[in-house]
Amino acid sequence: MDRIPILRMGEFLLVTIQVDMHDQLALTLQDDLTAQITRTGARGVLIDISSLDVVDSFIGRMLGSIASMARLMNAETVVVGMQPSVAITLVELGLTLHGIRTALNVEKGMALLRAGAARRSRA
Amino acid sequence: MRSQPGGTGPILTVAIRREEDVVLARQRARQVARLVGVAASEQTRLATAVSEIARNAWKYASGGKVEIALEDGEEASALVVRVRDQGRGVKDLDAVLSGRYHSPTGMGLGIAGSRRLVDRFDIQSGPSGTTVTLVKDLPPGAGPATPRELAALLDALSRERPHDALEELTTQNQELLGALDALKERERQLVELNRELEDTNRGVVALYAELDEKADYLRRASELKSRFLSNMSHEFRTPLNTVISFCGLLLGESDGPLNDEQRKQIGFARRSAEGMLDLVNDLLDLAKVEAGKTTVRAAPFEVSELFGALRGMLRPLLATTQLALHFEDPVGLPALYTDEGKISQILRNLISNALKFTERGEVRIAARREGGRAIFSVSDTGIGIAPEDQERIFQEYGQLDSPVQRRVRGTGLGLPLSRRLAELLGGRITLQSEPGVGSTFTLDVPLFYGGPPEIGAVPDIAALHDPTRYPVLVVEDNPETIFVYEKFTSGTPFQVLSVGTLLEARRAVQRLRPVAVVLDVMLGAETAWPLLSELKGSALTRGIPVYVVTMVENRGKAKGLGADDFAEKPLERGWLLSRLEEAAGLLPREELLIVDDDEASRYLLRSLLSETRYAVVDVASGEEALRRVAERRPAAVFLDWKMPGMDGGEVLARLRADPRTRDVPVLVYTGEELGPEQRARAAGAAAILAKGRPRLSALHEIREALARLGRGVDPP
Repeated sequence: MDRIPILRMGEFLLVTIQVDMHDQLALTLQDDLTAQITRTGARGVLIDISSLDVVDSFIGRMLGSIASMARLMNAETVVVGMQPSVAITLVELGLTLHGIRTALNVEKGMALLRAGAARRSRA
Repeated sequence: MRSQPGGTGPILTVAIRREEDVVLARQRARQVARLVGVAASEQTRLATAVSEIARNAWKYASGGKVEIALEDGEEASALVVRVRDQGRGVKDLDAVLSGRYHSPTGMGLGIAGSRRLVDRFDIQSGPSGTTVTLVKDLPPGAGPATPRELAALLDALSRERPHDALEELTTQNQELLGALDALKERERQLVELNRELEDTNRGVVALYAELDEKADYLRRASELKSRFLSNMSHEFRTPLNTVISFCGLLLGESDGPLNDEQRKQIGFARRSAEGMLDLVNDLLDLAKVEAGKTTVRAAPFEVSELFGALRGMLRPLLATTQLALHFEDPVGLPALYTDEGKISQILRNLISNALKFTERGEVRIAARREGGRAIFSVSDTGIGIAPEDQERIFQEYGQLDSPVQRRVRGTGLGLPLSRRLAELLGGRITLQSEPGVGSTFTLDVPLFYGGPPEIGAVPDIAALHDPTRYPVLVVEDNPETIFVYEKFTSGTPFQVLSVGTLLEARRAVQRLRPVAVVLDVMLGAETAWPLLSELKGSALTRGIPVYVVTMVENRGKAKGLGADDFAEKPLERGWLLSRLEEAAGLLPREELLIVDDDEASRYLLRSLLSETRYAVVDVASGEEALRRVAERRPAAVFLDWKMPGMDGGEVLARLRADPRTRDVPVLVYTGEELGPEQRARAAGAAAILAKGRPRLSALHEIREALARLGRGVDPP
């Protein structure tokens, strides 16, 4: 019950956060996601936060750490669908999300992940 | 609201008790902001700020309170959120506010960031707690202008609340479902287990039934066998004896002379008949031993006398041989205490065997002592027995094939029977033999059967009788059965006094009057029918109920001779006790009176006395006691010494003063040691007994005291 579902789409993982997460739920998501990356060997993670009205410093940091951990496991993280008010608030809050790539929506996010994956496999 | 400047109480309060409450607080803040008309982006900012501060309260102060209120300002209303906690305050507040502070926990943005997200920000922090006030100004005209609008707002809030309750309900439902599933699973397992148990149970019941059937079958078979054997004894022995005596008559020529040929023929007939009689007797003896029907009748006797008797008995066998039969004088043997008849039977067997298989030389019988055992030996100078045959001769019909063997007759049962008899006496028979030289059979039995006896003590039944109990005379020769009866009657007012022979039974009935007689019909060789008809035939003893117990169904005969009831072995406890109680009911019952103010003491004593033949009555005070004693004249009074009101001493004095109660014996039964003065007061008592003794010794003491009163010695 108290878990955010993680979907697998080819070599990417898709997480759609539809509930207002409390801190423990966010930490659980972080654990689940890293475990899934290891298990599936995913190359990218797409996190859809379009339903979130509030992203405070804790959740913001959590998104940042997910991105850092995923990178260490050779997976790109793209956060998509951030509401404008959330973006404004994050900036005002002074939270800079280093290493998080963002996209407007899921479609663009997927394109970004694919491009990155193709680039990396060429390299 | 505006009419009450300075604000009012919070419209909503969220307690931060769990981590999830942080989420609830920010959701509530957002809801209220929306309802009072705050723009969407501003809602997010306020909610984020509340989230930060509420999390701080949870993280650093382990909880707190979030209050959301509407307050009137000078120009417009404001939405005010206060977060209070009882923590130890914010350390280095200035550094935090200026943004220089970097939290080791990775935050550090909370306070400074929140400050930027709201219109006004205030923080009061001290060692007893922190209060953060976040203020969001409302656009002009926004917010509830009238109490009615406020009420509508609150209503809307409460309507949005169910979302939360619903979620909780869902969770609870799910937990319930889980619990139900677990319960169902457990129930299923239980049902399964139950079914298995039922199966097992059925199996056990079936097994029991089978066992019962088997036991029943065996009992019938055994009964059939004993009936067959007892028939055989009478039906076979009588005609054989008749044949033998007629042969004797003919050979005595009392009815006219016989010629030589006739004499020879009748001689053969007689010898054959005698052989057959031996066979029948041995067979019977053996069967009896096997069936456990043979009882050992131990009595003291001298071996030299036994030898004398044997010499006399065996003399006829020597008439036709050249053999010498020597009985050596027994050396160092005390009088034996065992079954003389059986020793004699064994020795007779061994000697006649020796005589049969010895053509010349001698047969020598000796006896000596070895430790606690008597060793008899029978040596011959006969044909001897080869080692490989030495065990076979002890088997039934295990005769050997030899020239001598063919010439002499034998039943083939003598040695097996002798061995069984020896075993019955706790002894054994061994054999040493060399073919052509001779054999020595050795009988080795304990000097004292069943341990050293009390010499000369034929127990006097009457002396064993405990006068506080009803004597029950049990005429029975099987020790196990007697033991069972004693078990049955332990803890009851009945005392089993057992005798094994009719003679003892007659003596016992003369010495004491039993409340009832339990009669086993089969007493070894004799039957108990004569005793039954004697008891019922005499006017003195006719009133004593006699219950006949035996294995043989013979109800008609028992009834005919006057038995009061009849049962087959094994006897049931309930049956026996109900008959005994009936018998005791025929007698007048004496009374014992307990005087004690303490109910527990009365109860304990009453339960002790329930093992006596007396009716027990108790009273709680001296006054009642005096009345009761005068009225009923009990056999004895058990008097507690220390009682409120009239104490034991006074009761005793008054009983002694009254001629009606003067003779009633009083047993002082007290919990404490009596001092000299008290002892003097108790001088009129028959005995002073101590309370609180262990049950057995207390019972013993009480019985002795009652017996001393001389009451119990009179036949009840």
